Amino acid sequence: MGDQSETATAAGMRRRDVLRAGVAGAAMGAVGLPAAAQAQGRGGRIAFANGSAFDTMDPHATFDVGRVAYRLNLYDGLLRWLDNPPKLEPWLAESYTVSEDGKQYVFKLRQGVKFHDGTDLTAEDVVYSMERILAVKKGAYPLFATLIDPGTTKARDRLTVEFNLKEASAIFAATTHDIYVVNSALVKRNERNGDWGQEWISRNDAGSGSYILRRFDPARGFLAQRFDGHFLGAAGLQEIDFRYVAEVNSRVLGLIRGDFQGTDPYMPQDQITRLQGDPNMNVMEAESTRLFYATMHHKRPPFTDVNFRKAVCHCFDYDGWINNILSGSVVRNTQVIPNPMWGAPKDVAGYNFDIDKAKWYLQRVQAPMREIVVAGMVGYEQSMQAAALLQNGLTRAGIQSRLVNEPWPVVSNKMRDPEQMYDMLFLWRSTYYADPHNWAGELLATNRHRGGNASYYSNPEVDRLLAEALANADQAKRAPLYEQIARISSEDAACVFIHNTKWYGPFRKNVQGVRFCPIGDGQEMRWLRIT
Amino acid sequence: MKILVLVLGRLAWFVPTIIGLLAIVFFISHVIPADPAAFVAGENATPETIAVIRERLGLDKPLHIQFWHYLVSILQGDMGRSIYTGRPVSEDLLSRLPATLELAIAAIIVASIIGIPLGVVSALRRNSWLDHGLRVVTIAGLAIASFWFAILLQLFFSMRLGITPLHGRVEGWGPEPITGFYTIDAVIWQDPEILLDALRHMILPVATLALPATATIVRFTRAGVLNALQSNYVLYETAMGYPRRLVVWKYVLRNALIGTVTQIGLIFGLLLAGAVVVEAVFDWPGLGLFAVNSILSSDYNAVMGFTLIAGAMFIVVNLIVDILQGMIDPRETR
Repeated sequence: MGDQSETATAAGMRRRDVLRAGVAGAAMGAVGLPAAAQAQGRGGRIAFANGSAFDTMDPHATFDVGRVAYRLNLYDGLLRWLDNPPKLEPWLAESYTVSEDGKQYVFKLRQGVKFHDGTDLTAEDVVYSMERILAVKKGAYPLFATLIDPGTTKARDRLTVEFNLKEASAIFAATTHDIYVVNSALVKRNERNGDWGQEWISRNDAGSGSYILRRFDPARGFLAQRFDGHFLGAAGLQEIDFRYVAEVNSRVLGLIRGDFQGTDPYMPQDQITRLQGDPNMNVMEAESTRLFYATMHHKRPPFTDVNFRKAVCHCFDYDGWINNILSGSVVRNTQVIPNPMWGAPKDVAGYNFDIDKAKWYLQRVQAPMREIVVAGMVGYEQSMQAAALLQNGLTRAGIQSRLVNEPWPVVSNKMRDPEQMYDMLFLWRSTYYADPHNWAGELLATNRHRGGNASYYSNPEVDRLLAEALANADQAKRAPLYEQIARISSEDAACVFIHNTKWYGPFRKNVQGVRFCPIGDGQEMRWLRIT
Repeated sequence: MKILVLVLGRLAWFVPTIIGLLAIVFFISHVIPADPAAFVAGENATPETIAVIRERLGLDKPLHIQFWHYLVSILQGDMGRSIYTGRPVSEDLLSRLPATLELAIAAIIVASIIGIPLGVVSALRRNSWLDHGLRVVTIAGLAIASFWFAILLQLFFSMRLGITPLHGRVEGWGPEPITGFYTIDAVIWQDPEILLDALRHMILPVATLALPATATIVRFTRAGVLNALQSNYVLYETAMGYPRRLVVWKYVLRNALIGTVTQIGLIFGLLLAGAVVVEAVFDWPGLGLFAVNSILSSDYNAVMGFTLIAGAMFIVVNLIVDILQGMIDPRETR
């Protein structure tokens, strides 16, 4: 690994103010509601049908997009990703600086931020929140576990907090939106047997976000009311009602009937088309950054042979998949980084559906051939459909295969064990932070074996480039490194890279002001108005 | 006295039955190759993180030790914490139980009120057009998939006619829960508006659940009545000039109901444990959906807690059935 030497490179970075003081005023304009919008359309409520259950209200217990709504609307992070393409905006922190060696981040907090109970938000609350994430070991914990040791985050003064990283990391700032700050005094008062207040906060609110929790029922969802004391000013809607509605059909019918004003985009394409045809609907459309791909087990023959992997890549009918099965609702993505993301090269042709070429590569395979196992995920229709489509191509090329479909808990367990991992698995890589490392680093780095790198792909050159990119904070210098990584991994046929998703946000026509961001899925409600 | 002996006898079997049930579910659920620690840790977790979580949850211990710890906790009234939500499982279950019970009780009452008279009429008019018609309806009621029927009801009554709510237990958030049964809570809060709203929201899910239940009750009642009608005592009573209505509704029905009551007990158990489809379609926040989500996330404590509750209710319902049977036919308690 080249981690040590690349860390030394980071020491050469110049000290800089990343979001300078004075940006705070501008930030209000950047992230706040336009004045005209604030004046009109105030009040009203939105009922939003969510396909995932809100089991808990603890902001440090979950990390998934399906339950992001309570984190985004009841809590604030140090910075926040907004819009598409995502921009990292000042939020609780108005600026931050990075030390010469890239290991110390100092955040300057906004003055006058209040929690929902009226107490001031201070650096001590940020320190407590960071320690809490590291202690409860849930939610965003994996983002910070390898970077920050417990007890190393310090409050310099009332509004200044410093994070001391174990090694330089260019993506740290990009992940600080996930440090949701809790009211430390309130949570401490409700701690029981050193549980960091987990039981209490799972049903209660200790945030400073745009909305205050009013009611929570794990079986139903949560109801929250506008927090007039929010540092950005009061949100547009008076009340937000997030309901757990398990069935897609019920979500769609409820939306058409007007019971709901919005729902999440996780539904089959035919339902999207159905909603698009309704005159009362506004199905928003945006290119997102959610990569659909298939792993290939690089440690297990015949996948150890690059010719076999290339043959498999040529067996997937990309055009048929995108144009016929998904009705053109997604975009072909030929390499590891989603097309709209910086660092994604434009010159990677990738692989096309060509059985003759697949056979040509198969003739050059040295490794012993055998039947391969192709897996899909139960409950994720596209994953199972893609596996079946690939099997068709494999059969035509002369590769024997067997399909298996298993639920996510089983799949996620097998991904972490190279012995149990399937030969191939179709899945998505979502946007946890808007940085090429979210895909290239997680899916390709050797140190992410048993983690995100379920292909068990390993290439020392890719590892070196990843480490170099991680140690360098300059986007202009990092971008070519990720482009190079994408080219190498495409040539290696690291995975079968298939498509980048589009986001479809189904809302009633009278809902205005939706600001979609791939991180958060457009579920931050403070921008919305009902007309 | 005989009823009391019956009750005590059944209760004596309660604990071993529950332990047996828990043991089966515990070992089966732990054989599934899913790792709840990995699930809790999330997609980006390192093996070290997962190991820490596994140790914290006690999943690193041998299976029999884990089961023993679980049993000891249960005896102390502690069902453990949900691996996923971090809350006590009992709290999660009790918050959902009333929704499922309210639905199941309403469905079984509707099914009995409709099913028993139809079964009697069907038997009395054996091989008539009415009997044939009821046979077609009841077989269809048993054959139709709940999922499809529920959506059909939604599309027709809610979307086309707009006369019933589409889903949920009430509009908005409902009354502050006291019992968790919205109809009862609305009465306690003296809020007739919510009471009516709750009843309106029950129409379609109850109809969906009650259809197959009604069909079963009709078939069993019909068979029981036909059997009783061929008995010597009915022939004697008829010969003695007892009014037909008295013979049928007092003497025949009492004997015919023994099998029906047994069925009602079994159906009620199935409604409790199997209402998941109806709960999903009608967005009904009950136990069924909770159980499915717990299984999908390998939340062992939650799965075990659900099994415990469902098993206990099944036993209690069957105890009630036994008592009812003893009251209908005292020979049953001998």
